[in-house]
Amino acid sequence: MGILKFSVPEIFLGRNSMKYAGVCARRLGAKKIFFVSDPGLESTGWVDAVFDIFDHEKLKWVYYSDISSNPRDSQIEEGARLYEKHGCDVVFALGGGSPMDAAKGIALVTSNGGRVHDYEGANRIQKPLPPMVFMPSTASSGSDVSQFAIITDMERQVKMSIISRTLVPNVSIIDPTLLTTKPRDLIIAAAVDALSHAVEAHVSRLAFPLTEVHSLRAIELIMKYLPLTLEDNSLANLEQLSIAGTSAAMAFSNASLGIDHALAHTLGGVLDVLHGIIHPILLPSVMRYNLPKCVDKLAEIGKVMIGGSMGSPEATALAGIEALENYFKSLGVSTRLRDIVPERSKIPQICEMATFDSCLLSNPREADAEDMMSICHDAW
Amino acid sequence: MNKPTTLEDIIGLEYTKLGFFGEVKKNMAKLQATNRKLERKQRKLEAIFGGISDVMVILSANFTIISTNDLFSTVFKHASPRGHFCYEIFKKRDCPCSDCPISKARQTNKVCRKTMALDIEDKHYQFDVTVSPLRDAKKKAFRFLVLMRDVTREKEYQSKYSHSKKMATVGALAAGVAHEINNPLTSISGFTKGLQRRLPILNKNLQDTEENQALMEDFTEYIDTILTECDRCRDIVQGLLTFSPRKKVDFTSLNLKRIVTGVLRLLHHRFKENPQVAITLKAEKNIPHIMGNAAELKQVILNLICNSLDAVDGQGFLELRLYQKENQIIFSIEDDGCGIDPEIMDQLFDPFFTTKPIGQGIGIGLSTCYNIIRQHQGELLVKSNKKEGAVFTMILPHPDEVMS
Repeated sequence: MGILKFSVPEIFLGRNSMKYAGVCARRLGAKKIFFVSDPGLESTGWVDAVFDIFDHEKLKWVYYSDISSNPRDSQIEEGARLYEKHGCDVVFALGGGSPMDAAKGIALVTSNGGRVHDYEGANRIQKPLPPMVFMPSTASSGSDVSQFAIITDMERQVKMSIISRTLVPNVSIIDPTLLTTKPRDLIIAAAVDALSHAVEAHVSRLAFPLTEVHSLRAIELIMKYLPLTLEDNSLANLEQLSIAGTSAAMAFSNASLGIDHALAHTLGGVLDVLHGIIHPILLPSVMRYNLPKCVDKLAEIGKVMIGGSMGSPEATALAGIEALENYFKSLGVSTRLRDIVPERSKIPQICEMATFDSCLLSNPREADAEDMMSICHDAW
Repeated sequence: MNKPTTLEDIIGLEYTKLGFFGEVKKNMAKLQATNRKLERKQRKLEAIFGGISDVMVILSANFTIISTNDLFSTVFKHASPRGHFCYEIFKKRDCPCSDCPISKARQTNKVCRKTMALDIEDKHYQFDVTVSPLRDAKKKAFRFLVLMRDVTREKEYQSKYSHSKKMATVGALAAGVAHEINNPLTSISGFTKGLQRRLPILNKNLQDTEENQALMEDFTEYIDTILTECDRCRDIVQGLLTFSPRKKVDFTSLNLKRIVTGVLRLLHHRFKENPQVAITLKAEKNIPHIMGNAAELKQVILNLICNSLDAVDGQGFLELRLYQKENQIIFSIEDDGCGIDPEIMDQLFDPFFTTKPIGQGIGIGLSTCYNIIRQHQGELLVKSNKKEGAVFTMILPHPDEVMS
């Protein structure tokens, strides 16, 4: 094992931890907060709740919610313009991956200048960003702990990934009460997303003990508490899912992901399908493809899935994959690629594009476009 | 474009979340460098201001002194002018002056120039004042740069120059007139004297009647009057001739003190008439002899003492001083009389100017004195406050310094 790193923000975890949003921002020097969210959250009332918290702390704020589900370069630029116009000093985000990534982009452009495009790739940010306080509304995107931001370049029609430790927020506030307003399908999508993060992070080439405890724990919690939550939407169950999502995020934001996400990103870009519903379809096939290179890791996952060991590590691994497939089926989500991709002829193009995804780098088994095509056919 | 991302990039061992400490350090260094630059610039400006030979003041829009150069304190004898109102220091007033050039510069937003008379420790000064508005980014004047040049001496020279020019013209005119009048006057005087000589003969040839006796008396009286008036004309003409430059062949070495005491003796009868006037003479010992014309200097001293006697009008003091100062021999006469009206100060040495009632003087006095002293390469100065008396000072050069 080489030298690896584990970096996370300061994390608040617990019911009603959102009340620390104002105090945190103030401690980081806030006088006027740039508050990023999206219209979906406004209707749940959480945006107003945060306004109240800021007002209570006598903090001024500027609210910006012109964020689409995949944040666009122009939206970032407009946000940065507003940030500067109003003289804000701390960036606060409430929501899923989109508002959080947008908030990162705004913080980046406002402090480093230029356009988001100038920072595409790894470690190209030269100047510090304004303090960032993030409050995820789904415990799955991981943007609140990660060093990644994904912004869409509207002109080139591609998603730019920006990677830098400087993009890790200063504070992440994880409050399970936010999940109480989530509808059932979003709860499933988020949990499945988190599960796939955990599985891919666990077998990643960058996985190491500090990430592995989190990825395994996340798998265990999701397997147990997602079904319970679907039966009883109690805060206690939601809290466990929050912990699972956060653990998965800590694991994948440090260990990165694999083929499943490389393909999911590309499919998401081409078909505009919800991130969460792709994983039940691809993940088991990807795990089977990776099996030769990571039997022991997959066996560890298998042990968690089936609650015991089979004769050999390989058997345990395979039993685990099967258990996972059954688990997905039990959730009532699509498990075949044909359900979401209208034409089979699109597959080669998608696989070709996926070879450029940086998630492929950390996949335990190398894969070219053809390898991925076979995975897709397997999942068809 | 960008190089493809690698696993090492994602681990980013060499990268860490950027904090502001480094940034602050960088900014501090930048600020310090800028500060040093500004400091140097300020010192340069201060040196420039210090080198300016004019008094320089920066004023706020409400006449408060914000900064000055070092010269300010020296000229205005004020150690810490900062924070005071300008009119407090310049004019000892408690409100802005009515003819303030700063107000004008503020109204017009243009450079304003003006000559101002200021008194500093009882001395009169004249300053050429230039007020330039310092404008902010919106071109609005928010401060005023005031440059003050002491032009007191320049103005003095200017008035001296214009006076001496006037005197030269008058001198040429007077000399011409004097010569022209002198000839007929000599004839009148000569023939009148001839007539006077012939009076006894005329008397002998006349019958001794009462009528003839009266006629004879008239003749004698009229001829006497003509001769007296001729003498007066001659004196006037003589006086006029002092306006034109003469040779100094008739200068001899003189003891000025002896001349002064001589004049005082001459005036003995007038002092007796004015017992309430105290006259003192303070003369330093060992005053060197001067080169000059005794008769002319006597005339000057006589004239000055008479003027002072007239000024005190029977009651007061006259203080005569004779002393040496920096290679100059100075005779001054101070009185506590009526003083001189500032309005006529400029005309005092003009020919034919007089304040005395018509008939009492001919007005040649002070201008003649002035000319005589000038021809002795000296100076005749006057200082007076209305109603507080006057000081006339006659300054003559040391004999070694007299140019031939």
